[in-house]
Amino acid sequence: MLYKELRSRNFEIISVAQDTGGAKAAGPWIIAAKPEYTALVDEKQIITQKYGMVNVPTAVWIDEQGRIVRPNEVAFIDDRFKSFTNMESAPYIDAIRDWAANGTKSVYVLSEADLRARLKPQSDDRSNDRLQADAEFALAEYLYKQGKGVDAIPHFKEAQRLDPDNWNYKRQAWALSDAERDYGTNFGKEVKKLNGKPYYEPRKLPEAKKGANDRRN
Amino acid sequence: MIKYLVLLAIVSASVVVARAADQDTRVVIYDGIATVVSSAPEASSDLWITTGDLLRATRFVIKPQGVCRDELCFPLPKNRKAEFVSKKGATTWFNLSEFAKLIRQPVVADQKNGVWYFGARASEQNGYLASLEAPNFTLPDLNGKLHSLADFRGKKVLLVTWASW
Repeated sequence: MLYKELRSRNFEIISVAQDTGGAKAAGPWIIAAKPEYTALVDEKQIITQKYGMVNVPTAVWIDEQGRIVRPNEVAFIDDRFKSFTNMESAPYIDAIRDWAANGTKSVYVLSEADLRARLKPQSDDRSNDRLQADAEFALAEYLYKQGKGVDAIPHFKEAQRLDPDNWNYKRQAWALSDAERDYGTNFGKEVKKLNGKPYYEPRKLPEAKKGANDRRN
Repeated sequence: MIKYLVLLAIVSASVVVARAADQDTRVVIYDGIATVVSSAPEASSDLWITTGDLLRATRFVIKPQGVCRDELCFPLPKNRKAEFVSKKGATTWFNLSEFAKLIRQPVVADQKNGVWYFGARASEQNGYLASLEAPNFTLPDLNGKLHSLADFRGKKVLLVTWASW
């Protein structure tokens, strides 16, 4: 397992469940995984909001000084969902190994310019919409937990309207009710609508070795 | 005459009490923390709360230089002061929803349930885009033990999110 292999290199994994249902929803999965790394539960999607994430699984690389060296990207660390996503985990795991071994010298650590380009904030308007969506989602989640699930739905919908690229806000809301009845859709249908277009931004990993002929995807 | 004044005082005092009993409450969620507050007696689509509740729910205080919390002060536009502050008898009311608009803070209300949610301002939430510093967070594990990203300083961290849904 990746963590066992790399922990001696001053490397830590923090996994965070984005689950309104909290420990009740995420707990059985965590217990089954018997993690040695740090496994946390985030009932309010705080990480989604603070890091501007749009789907799971998403990973961020953070260095020893607490700085981001690779921002949000798809992170499958095993092949459980390969048939669905068509994404191999091996190249990403190799990249993590390389970072753990080489630190700032790793080809996978982004330059500050690249990092800034990737983190480039959306336009002011877009950013405000996103913050408004976060507030709608948080209010919906509060109402849901107060036993006002029906009253939560319009706010979940508004969050989805304001931040249409945020799959966390769609998938979580659909999971909390009968998606067909309350939202007129479901995850499977929405994925079909994408018609093969990946709903994750494809990951861009550089060549591990210069001059390698085989191109990685 | 004095008798009349005393009578008037008693009557108005009992009106205040009656009003207080009839007053609805609202829930204000600020910095992620829910606080029950009394709402203004007049119907309004805005959220007017007392300065006492303002302090309890948000830690903001009205000062001559503006509406302040710690070192942070937001001056109120002079010509619009009445839109934010209203004195009724001994109570000073503050329009928290209008204040949110002034400081460009996201605000969402559920009028039916009387819940108001005040979100993070862009300058609070997007600061990391300039500093490149990973936003700190504190979250529990399954045993309820809290962990902060800051505890991991000095190590490389792979932060991974997932969900059960």
